[in-house]
Order: sequence, then structure tokens, then C-alpha cells
Amino acid sequence: MILARIDGHVVTSIGHPSLKAQKIVLCTPINEHGADAGAPFAALDPIGAGQHTRVFITTDGSWTQNTLHDVTSPIRNQVLGLVDAR
Amino acid sequence: MKVGKVIGNITLSHADSGFRGGRFIVVAPQGAKELSGKNPDGYSDAWTLVAYDNLGAGAGDDILYVEGAEAMQPFDYRTPLDAISVALIDTFRYEPPKSGA
Repeated sequence: MILARIDGHVVTSIGHPSLKAQKIVLCTPINEHGADAGAPFAALDPIGAGQHTRVFITTDGSWTQNTLHDVTSPIRNQVLGLVDAR
Repeated sequence: MKVGKVIGNITLSHADSGFRGGRFIVVAPQGAKELSGKNPDGYSDAWTLVAYDNLGAGAGDDILYVEGAEAMQPFDYRTPLDAISVALIDTFRYEPPKSGA
């Protein structure tokens, strides 16, 4: 699981069918001090995290297939929770 | 999922039959600099990669791609893929905080 900060979002109309009606956010991985710690990536955001909030993200594709109810989904990253304090 | 820019495609004369219906695109991964518009041509320093595409992505398009074993999940048979395009990006916003978090 990755600690990250929400830095934006993506709008898409053509994509894998499992992405339909899903919010996709752009996040930057952060370290324990909150500083950037890697290249930005995209993740599904089922909980509606706001801009610049800290979140933790799973990269487990099989879990995302579960929550999307679609075993053909190639998606891996999904926001699991908001970080209140570390 | 990561954001990439399509910078070309690859044509194969002989390929695994499982690849029919799609084609291969050359993707430049987009880092913070490219997403913020500080590198307008979009050619990042990161490794260029080849991904399978059945969405019709063309050169210059921004896409989302997935790397790893999950890339073969859309197929109902095993294929030797580890990168696939999953979405064509219409628009995106990327605004990191100005002074750290």
C-alpha cells in the first residue's frame, strides 16, 4: 500500500468498461514527512478524496476486481482511506 | 495506472495469435514535469515502454496504462502481456501544492 497525496484528476470517456462511472485521481507518492517520493500515478477513488488530501492506496489488482465486480478489469490502484494523522 | 503519451506504434508481421484485435503502441511515461506542462513535448526521461492497445490510441494522445500481471486480465486466455492501455484521457488536471504538502 502506498501513502500518497491527491494532486488532480483525469476525465476519460473511452476506456476499459470497468472504468465506467469511476472517479480517477492523479496522486503523488509521499514519504513519512509528506514530501514527494516518486512519480505521479492514477488511481480509482471510490470514497471521494479532495484535492491535496493524504490518502493510502492499494496496488492490489485482485482487490480492485472484487470491488468493481469485474474479473476482466486490469485496474490495480484504488484509494482505500483518508489519512487523518500519521 | 499511470499517465503516458503515445509517441508511436509498432507493427508486427508475426505475432502470438492472442494479440489479434489490438496493436502495440510506444508510450512515454509522464512524470510530474510533463503533467505540469513544464515539458511541453512530453518526452520524459523515463524508460519508453510498449503497451498493447485495443482502444485506438494514436500518436500524441494521453492515455492511462497499467503495468504488471493485471494487464492480461481483460483476456479470457493467458497472454504474455505486461502493459496495456486502459483509457484515453480527454482532459486532466494536475496541480501539486506550491510548497510541499
